[in-house]
Amino acid sequence: MVMPRPFRWIVGLLLAGALLVGGVLLLPFADWLPGGTVADLPLQQVVNGSNFNRLFPPSDPDFRITMSQEKRGFSEARLKQGDQVIALLAISDTITAPEARAKFDQAKQELEGWPLVEQGPHASALLVADRFQVKVIEQGSALDADHRHSLLEDFDLQGLASLGSPSLPRS
Amino acid sequence: MGRSVLTRLERLPRRGLTVLSLQGLSLLVPGGWSNTTSAESLIAEVIGSHDQALVAQVRARADQLSRARHEGYGRALSVYDAVNRSQHATAGLRVLAGVSAGVPLLKRLADLTPPGDTLQAVDLGLKVSAELLAFTQVNGLPGDSFSDFAAALADYGSEARLRMAAMVTFDGLLPLGDQALRRLDGLLGQASTTQLRQLPAYRRMAGLMPGRNDQAHMGFVRRGVEQWVGWAEGLVSQLGLSGQRAVQALETTLGPWQGRMDQLAVFLDAFTDTYAHTGVQAVARRLVERAAAEI
Repeated sequence: MVMPRPFRWIVGLLLAGALLVGGVLLLPFADWLPGGTVADLPLQQVVNGSNFNRLFPPSDPDFRITMSQEKRGFSEARLKQGDQVIALLAISDTITAPEARAKFDQAKQELEGWPLVEQGPHASALLVADRFQVKVIEQGSALDADHRHSLLEDFDLQGLASLGSPSLPRS
Repeated sequence: MGRSVLTRLERLPRRGLTVLSLQGLSLLVPGGWSNTTSAESLIAEVIGSHDQALVAQVRARADQLSRARHEGYGRALSVYDAVNRSQHATAGLRVLAGVSAGVPLLKRLADLTPPGDTLQAVDLGLKVSAELLAFTQVNGLPGDSFSDFAAALADYGSEARLRMAAMVTFDGLLPLGDQALRRLDGLLGQASTTQLRQLPAYRRMAGLMPGRNDQAHMGFVRRGVEQWVGWAEGLVSQLGLSGQRAVQALETTLGPWQGRMDQLAVFLDAFTDTYAHTGVQAVARRLVERAAAEI
C-alpha cells in the first residue's frame, strides 16, 4: 500500500505522540494498575508486619529468636537452638489469603479459645480473631506437636487479637 | 512482570560453568552446596513434607506473592540481573579485546587485561549494595531496632554462605589479592563517581538507592561496604579463604588453570552467572518460607 507522503508524516507523528502521552500517563500510575499488591487489596487494609514483631515469644539464651522477614501483613522469625534453626515462627494477616482461613472451619482442636489445625506432620497453625494466622513450622525434627502448641501459646495472642477488626467476610 | 521467582528457579542451569565453579568453591565451605533447581523439592524441604496438596498450595501462594509488584521479589531479581549483565559486559569487553587482536581465544585468554583495581573495587562495592538492596526488597526491614536488622542480616549471611564466599573470592580475593578486604576501603576512597557510572548495573540500581545524586550513592556504597567488610573478614578467616586455595578448589571442577588469578577472575566474570544464580536460589527460599507460613 502506498500512502501519500504528508499522510505518512501525520501517521508517524500521531503514533509518536500517542506513545509519548501513553508513557507519561501510565508510568507514574504503575502502582495503581491491578496486580501491584497481593490479592489486589489496598495496602492500608493490610496490617503492617511491624505491628507483629513485639508479639513473638520472648527470646532466651537457649532458644534464640531472630527476626527474618517483615512485610505488609507478614512477619517471620527463626527459632534457633545454638546454630541450628529448629522452627520458623510467623504471623500473617489472612486478609490477603482468604483460602488460608477456610481450613480452620474443620478445626477440631482449640488453643486458648482459638481454632487450631495441623498442616502436614511438621506445622501447626492457629487462627486468632478470625483474621491473624500464627504458625510454627518445624525445621528438622526437634519439635513434636505439643512443643509446637506450647510455642503458639508463647505468642502474645491477646495483643494480636486486639490488632484487627474481628469480623471479616468469609469467602 | 515476567516470570515468577519459582519459574526462574526451575530454569536455572543444572550443569555448565556456573554450576561447576560454584561446586568447586563449595569444597571450601563446610556444609557444601546443592544446586537447588526444583521448586517442589525446595518447598518439600521447607515444610518437611511431600504432601502433593500442601506443596501445590505453597506453590500457588508463592506465585501469587511474586506476581505482586509491590512485594519486591521481582525488583530484587532485576537488581541481580542488572549486576549480572553489567559484569558480563565489562568482562566480555576484555575478552573481546583479546579476540580482536586476531589470535584464537584460548591462547589469548591468558593475556586478558584485568580491570583497574579501583574499578574492580567499585564493582564489588556495587555488588555488596545490590545485596543489601535486594535483601530489603525481599525481607523488608525485619525487627524493631537496628540490632534486630543487623542480626537478620548476619543470619541471612550464614544461610547464604556459599553465595557470600563466591562474592568474596570471585570479586575480591581473585582480582584484588588476599589483602582485598583490607584494601577495599582505600580503593573505594580513590574511586570517583565516573567509575560508578561506568558500571552498567549502577543505572538500574540508582533509583533504589537512598540519596539523589551519584555522590550520595557513592556514600551509600561505602557505608554498605564498611558494614559488610567486618563480617566478610570473619568469613574469610573462618573458612580460611585465599586466592590460592580458591584456584585449587576451582581447578578440581573446572580443570587446570595456567593464567594469573586476576585473569581467572575476568574469565569467571565473563562466562559465569554465579551472582544471579545463587541470588535466585536465595530469593526463592525466602519466598517459599513466607508462602508456607501464609497458606
